[in-house]
Amino acid sequence: MSQTTPSSDNGVERQCMEADVVCVGFGPAAGGFLTTLARGLTNEDGSLAVSSAVMEGMPPQVICFERAEGLSFGVSGVVTRARGIRETLPNLDPATIPMAAPVAEERVVYLLDPIGASRRPRTLRAIDRVLRAAKRAVGMQHDAVELPYIPPFLRKDGGLVLSIGQFNQWVGDNIMMSGAVQLWPGSPVAEAVIEENKVVGVRLVDQGTDKDGKPDAGFTPGMEVRANLTVIADGPVGPVGRQLDAHFGMPDGHHQRDWAVGMKIVVDLPESCPLEPGTVIHTLGYPELEIFGFMYVYPGRIASLGIFVPSWFDSPVRTAYRYLQHWMLHPYLWRHLNGGILRSWGAKTIQEAGKRGEPVLAGDGFARIGEGSGSTNVLTNSGVDEAWATGSILAESVLDLLKQDKPFTKESLEATYVSRRRASWVESEGRIAEHARDGFQKGFIRGILGTGLAGLTQGRLHLAGLPPRLNERVLSLQEHFQGKISEAEIGQIRKQCIAKGESLHDALMTRAGWPEIPYDGQLLVSHQDALLLGGKVQAPGGYADHVVFVYPHLCETCGVQLCAEICSGQAITPNPEGGVPLFDREKCVHCGACLWNCTQASEENKESGAIAFRAGAGGLHSSEN
Amino acid sequence: MGFHIVVCAGIVPDPLQTLEPITGPQGPALKNEMMLPAVLDPWAKHALFEAAHLAAKTPDSKVWLVSMAPKTKLQQVMMSIAQKASFELVALDGPASGFTDSQAVAEALAAAINAISGLDRKRLLVFGGWESASRGAGATLQIVGERLGIVEQFQGVDELSVTASGSLRILERVEGGMHQISHCDGPPAVLGWATGSLPEPPNNPQVGMANMRTLMPALQKATAAGVAVDGKSFTSVEVPKQRRDTRIVKDASTDDIAREIMEWIKG
Amino acid sequence: MDTVLYLAHTQSDETLSKGALEALTAAKELTAQLGSANLVVAILGGDVQTAADSVADCGASKFLGVSGEAFAQSRYATDAAAIEALCRTAQPAIVLCGSSSRFNRVLPGVASRLGGCADLHATEVKADGGSTSITRWYYRQRIRAAQVRDKRPWFVALETGSDAPWITAGGKAAVESVPVALPESSLRTTVEGLQKPPGQTQTIRPDADLLYVAGAGWTKKQADGEAHIQDAESIILDFLGKTQASLGGSKSLVDISGTGQAVLSFMTHLNQIGQTGAIPRHPKGLSTCCHGEEPHAVGWRFIHERRAINLDANCGWAHGKADVLYVADAFEVMRKVNALLEKS
Repeated sequence: MSQTTPSSDNGVERQCMEADVVCVGFGPAAGGFLTTLARGLTNEDGSLAVSSAVMEGMPPQVICFERAEGLSFGVSGVVTRARGIRETLPNLDPATIPMAAPVAEERVVYLLDPIGASRRPRTLRAIDRVLRAAKRAVGMQHDAVELPYIPPFLRKDGGLVLSIGQFNQWVGDNIMMSGAVQLWPGSPVAEAVIEENKVVGVRLVDQGTDKDGKPDAGFTPGMEVRANLTVIADGPVGPVGRQLDAHFGMPDGHHQRDWAVGMKIVVDLPESCPLEPGTVIHTLGYPELEIFGFMYVYPGRIASLGIFVPSWFDSPVRTAYRYLQHWMLHPYLWRHLNGGILRSWGAKTIQEAGKRGEPVLAGDGFARIGEGSGSTNVLTNSGVDEAWATGSILAESVLDLLKQDKPFTKESLEATYVSRRRASWVESEGRIAEHARDGFQKGFIRGILGTGLAGLTQGRLHLAGLPPRLNERVLSLQEHFQGKISEAEIGQIRKQCIAKGESLHDALMTRAGWPEIPYDGQLLVSHQDALLLGGKVQAPGGYADHVVFVYPHLCETCGVQLCAEICSGQAITPNPEGGVPLFDREKCVHCGACLWNCTQASEENKESGAIAFRAGAGGLHSSEN
Repeated sequence: MGFHIVVCAGIVPDPLQTLEPITGPQGPALKNEMMLPAVLDPWAKHALFEAAHLAAKTPDSKVWLVSMAPKTKLQQVMMSIAQKASFELVALDGPASGFTDSQAVAEALAAAINAISGLDRKRLLVFGGWESASRGAGATLQIVGERLGIVEQFQGVDELSVTASGSLRILERVEGGMHQISHCDGPPAVLGWATGSLPEPPNNPQVGMANMRTLMPALQKATAAGVAVDGKSFTSVEVPKQRRDTRIVKDASTDDIAREIMEWIKG
Repeated sequence: MDTVLYLAHTQSDETLSKGALEALTAAKELTAQLGSANLVVAILGGDVQTAADSVADCGASKFLGVSGEAFAQSRYATDAAAIEALCRTAQPAIVLCGSSSRFNRVLPGVASRLGGCADLHATEVKADGGSTSITRWYYRQRIRAAQVRDKRPWFVALETGSDAPWITAGGKAAVESVPVALPESSLRTTVEGLQKPPGQTQTIRPDADLLYVAGAGWTKKQADGEAHIQDAESIILDFLGKTQASLGGSKSLVDISGTGQAVLSFMTHLNQIGQTGAIPRHPKGLSTCCHGEEPHAVGWRFIHERRAINLDANCGWAHGKADVLYVADAFEVMRKVNALLEKS
């Protein structure tokens, strides 16, 4: 890495250095990119295949900056067909990766509501009654029906169950050992440096600041790292990806209006649990129709399980933790979980717009890969493999360009990376999935039908239902609880909760008929205790708050404050004094749910809300999520 | 003339991970040890920061970090720690388990220090943590010192300053929250650090990249360090299961609670 | 016949510490358990006669002493030479002493020099069927292990609070003075003295009956949306003053000082308990505003009776670990406790 003279902006002197390739974020996409790239930088005899443009005679200088403090602090449990991963690693042996196992058995289960608190349309209640009446005929047990047929597009035959944390760590170790790439965790990238519509590198976050970002003791301005190619792999809510979306705009007709928060736990299953490693269970129907669940069984009687709370669940008290506990307590699951021990917990946002949310994939000096590049497939419920594949496709293109000594221009990247990606299975399957979930915009049953239709007709048919903008869709508390809780009582509960600085969903859900959670201190623990398990959620000092309420006046008039309800770590809470919610960085798991759960529209861009989700350090410290 | 500072530092599981002992082929071990995220031992980390700080303000000084752990774990920890302080790594591929005996670890460390080329014994300061968060023996560094023939040894060090004459002024933690102040003529000396007083340095990619030049070669050439069992055996290793019956006092007035606490304190 | 060497050093007033007397109880019991063993007492210090007399009737077969100005101070080189000489004279199988900063510094090195082994931080030592074993903790007091060793001499430093101190009427001990050859090079270090804790307030009292633990909650925003650091400081100091309790802090609370946030001015790293702090031993412990912090898990391991004040009734870190959890505002409760203490 050669050093250049310090750059200066707004009077702040920044250290500056040069690299050939800088990669933002380390997850499956960067894993695929760096694994493939590292391998191609040297010839089989060990000689250099290409050389650095910034350090003569040296191999290309490739650096990857990861926000979290360890490469293994990623989320979540995954079932994947691992086609892209196996293409890069043909001799992959799951036994060498902790917590990995081949898929052995798949079940899709419809969960009935055993307590009667979920919101179910009349038709579905009728179906539930029929199922209960014909219990034996339909094979209903434990308030659940295992579907007799799993459509091929959902199946993961020959695939793997993985812990993303352990997989990332394993991939990272191998990349590091190659010596061709530097991986630096604990290094959040604040932004891309853009000069005349060309991305020329990145700037790391400032350290030694107060929570507002003002210089404090030990102030160290974030370094500028200039690179010929900047690879953005910072995931669905990454600040650099979103900066580029804002700067370059989204392609016509593309937008990101479908999201979900996935919240999960890792559990030591009780001795009595008969589930074999490689068992994959997907659930639908409970605790709310919009909330799907998963359970993957790893070797050693460990399971990863959780739920997805999507943006099209139009509840003004949209939350995940409480629903996760009700879901675990469903008789179908609880019989396997009862007596288990919670090992760790985590949450992440999933960009469910998929292909429709695809941004500009490449431009002068940059390329986008992974979930933030719209690679997630919402029909097959697969994202990790697709992300990996996009990274690997980019690496092949980068190697070609390096070997031909061509610059990383928009034109050259489009001719290589983008065109290869268009010809890949990620693209063709992404197109099939593009409208698969639109039906859910108009109800659960329509959604299921639409997904099936899209899946079985290879995307030729689907049910229409364009998702509205996020800030247009959430109901008021009064509308949502109509017929269940009076307006006056809602007002009273809101007052009590806000005075205590608590979000409303717990009190309202209890009032609406959800039973209290019977905490047992080992599997059913309070939300705050979950933050302490499997490596305490924490934030190093000296960094600015990364969640910022940009338009205080909008927060002051916001009657819902969905950001506080959804917040996975209870890091955002209502302000007892009213107005702008409070943010506690030490509880934030960086899931980014606040970003798409703002009911207010930003003044500059109606597609986004009034919350800025910036680059920040800290978060989860569990390596097995 | 500057110092040659050798920091001995092990790696330990990230604090607050759930730990469970199992019986492995070589005796007790931690369940899923290789999966647990690891960090540089906290007290030794303070020692490293103090070493880097001292080296930075004393011209012609150099810092080595001698660490023994399984190679992949060492590599993971180095990714974080190498951004915070300048050092040259001496890597030993061996166990990081707290159940490995200090004598065996100390002998491996002392041999590695003896093998550092260009190390000047007359300028040598051996740093480390006053105990580890894994073994918690508080013994390894003293044995390293003995093996190197250094009898100027200090434990629980919170402060080291170099006087104008070049002697070392050292504050060690002693009973009752007090510090013992000692003066040592100069190196060689062994210092087992408590927390010291330096804040954690920021992550500096430039420091990391400079370290990288020696880090990866050191890791790649790290050889397996022989660690003998050395006559220690365990008759039981367990996480105590004691669980107390917690009485929860809810909805009592603060007056009542205060009275109860008062009676308990006085009782 | 194996020799159990009971090792002690004098304090600045030439007496033995409580911890040293506790270890004597253990040494006597161990000697008895070993059957045919022989107890020898060895003391080092400026002048050891007073200390030796204070335990003259402990049943030891012999009293060894190293005295002199060089041994009045705690210093590795001279202590190591003295203990080496005492051991070469007594030829013990087991060397037992109370844990102290002075012994913890020197024992492992001496053990290694003598070809033996050392265990600091032992919480129990016993002999069963002629075989000696000790108990000590690993991974910051999370895992407890019982272990035996083949090498001799085996030095064991017992943590204070592990046994009752040996109570004695004293007497007159015949101390055999053991000569120590000190090369000049062993005096390269001079001890200047002791420095009191920083700040004006003495907050660490190892002999206190009560450990008072303050958590990071004291510095956080309270129900009114504001932090009340000064209130917190005066409440805590008032309580410490009235009860003479020792003050412990959670790591989060101590670390806050590094982040530029307002902190309790009298709290330093020396107060920290748990992970990278001390593991104190007191009969009682009261923790306040510690939800989600570590004292309950680790720092409390050796606190006998434990109570907590916390706003969260479901705090899993107090459940099962504290005897009583008061769900209340610690600011209010502690203010009232102080008022009651004032009255009494």
